[in-house]
Amino acid sequence: MISKEAIIHYIKQVFPDSELSLIDKTGMMDHYQLEIISSKFQDMNRLDRQRLVYEALSEPMKDGRIHALEIQSQTPQEANK
Amino acid sequence: MENTIEEEIKEEITENKIVIYGKGTKERPMCGFTRETIDFFNRYGHPYKVIDVLNNMPKRELLSKMSNWPTLPKVFIGGQFYGDTDILDPMAESGEMATLLKKVFEKEAQG
Repeated sequence: MISKEAIIHYIKQVFPDSELSLIDKTGMMDHYQLEIISSKFQDMNRLDRQRLVYEALSEPMKDGRIHALEIQSQTPQEANK
Repeated sequence: MENTIEEEIKEEITENKIVIYGKGTKERPMCGFTRETIDFFNRYGHPYKVIDVLNNMPKRELLSKMSNWPTLPKVFIGGQFYGDTDILDPMAESGEMATLLKKVFEKEAQG
């Protein structure tokens, strides 16, 4: 289990400019859906974008606080389309 | 030991055009994401192989290392790594998936 605030804290360390939307999918606080908009994704392919998000969350992923995470990533330009 | 598992994985992703490394089998997926990935490929009608690595920690660790990707399921198409449905769904939406599968399965038809 992990709070939304804790997840946001981890992500902001790697993506300081990011806009985040986080949904607790099951109410159990271990399965989240994340929408993240950041300029860091510019010129990155989809695989590398996810890798960077997983890297930001590697601690809570490794110790099991996050069981499952769905990620949708966009750049600010893509989000404005 | 590690070499043997690596060879096994390389063989699996070479011999099968679509491979899903997941939790559980095609008939009995043990994880919602594995099930979602199976449903995804059922829509396309191409043959795909589900390989259960739920209890095979050495293979899971090696797969994560090879793909630089921490979670299951892991999908390989035409021997290339494509992540999971977070990647596949937008590819389906944009039409990239249909193009990719056409290309991968055409090769087979040509021998």
